[in-house]
Amino acid sequence: MQWKLFADLAEVAGDREIRVDVGPGATVGDALDALFEAQPALRDRVLNDSGAVADHINVLRNGENVGADDGLETTLVEGDELALFPPVSGGR
Amino acid sequence: MSGLSLDATQLDRYSRHIIMDEVGPEGQKRLLESSALVIGAGGLGAPVIQYLAAAGVGHIGVVDDDVVERSNLQRQVIHGDADVGRPKVDSAKDFVTTLNPDVDVDTHQTRLGRSNADLIEGYDVVVDASDNFPTRYLVNDTARLAGIPVSHGAIYKFEGQVTTLHPDGPCYRCLFREAPEPGTVPDCATTGVLGVLPGTVGCIQATEAVKLLLDAGDPLVGRMLFYDAMDMTFDTVPYAEDPDCPVCGDDPIDSIEDVEYADSCGIGAGAD
Repeated sequence: MQWKLFADLAEVAGDREIRVDVGPGATVGDALDALFEAQPALRDRVLNDSGAVADHINVLRNGENVGADDGLETTLVEGDELALFPPVSGGR
Repeated sequence: MSGLSLDATQLDRYSRHIIMDEVGPEGQKRLLESSALVIGAGGLGAPVIQYLAAAGVGHIGVVDDDVVERSNLQRQVIHGDADVGRPKVDSAKDFVTTLNPDVDVDTHQTRLGRSNADLIEGYDVVVDASDNFPTRYLVNDTARLAGIPVSHGAIYKFEGQVTTLHPDGPCYRCLFREAPEPGTVPDCATTGVLGVLPGTVGCIQATEAVKLLLDAGDPLVGRMLFYDAMDMTFDTVPYAEDPDCPVCGDDPIDSIEDVEYADSCGIGAGAD
């Protein structure tokens, strides 16, 4: 599976796209764990103090928030695209 | 000016609008009679003010507490070299007056906060061209409680995010319940910003504002548009109303009195 990272998350990870060795049948949560394993610096940026994905970060599967499915328990199928997107605030 | 028809100069000035069925003389009159509040006269605000003024949006309010700095001129296209040191709202007003005498400008040289957020009220549309999370959450919450649509745009280095927060659709908190803790996301003074990026994003915000005022087309309601200037790609991410949203959900707040627009801008006991 491939993760796409937006805004400052891409900088924390050092890359916009990160491939993880997680296949169909695994869950979005498994792919997220694998992402943190590949890029440990992301863990602190993405998770809050209680270890859950921070309120302001959206986890997307094929462009839609996984909350509409089973959240991090959502099962991955072949060809799924995963993304993490946070808000940005610049405007000046 | 309700009931008045367009004069000869206006028929000429707005002829490229008037000729289209989607706008026409009625739509142009509607623009001339409408009002927009632009929050921020910086990178995003500059093209927004420029195009709303050119389009003949008759009443434009501008909120900004800053003065023009030379480092702004790489992207803030309504301010000029001679404006360095002047309040941005004054420079913005001069720009509009020079461009289009049909447009009245109300300047508010202040920072929008809880105590003066009521200046949003009475406008037909709000364009959020601010540069920080507390203002963005304040604008979302205040405009939603007042039933006013917001054209939201935000930028980061080479990326833009644009969406339209309409009273009939989800609000910004449905997508991003709370702001990241201060310091988590670096600002553009630290990271830099591609000068033309706010031009692209601001023009999309202005497009949305004009559509809202005309009640035409399909606004970016429930859709977040992502623009990546480096890849030159646009992605649209749909988002839905969140029944648990503290501002537009099933049990919403009725005022912003108790919301702290600092840190994560959270609302209520559940905020962390």
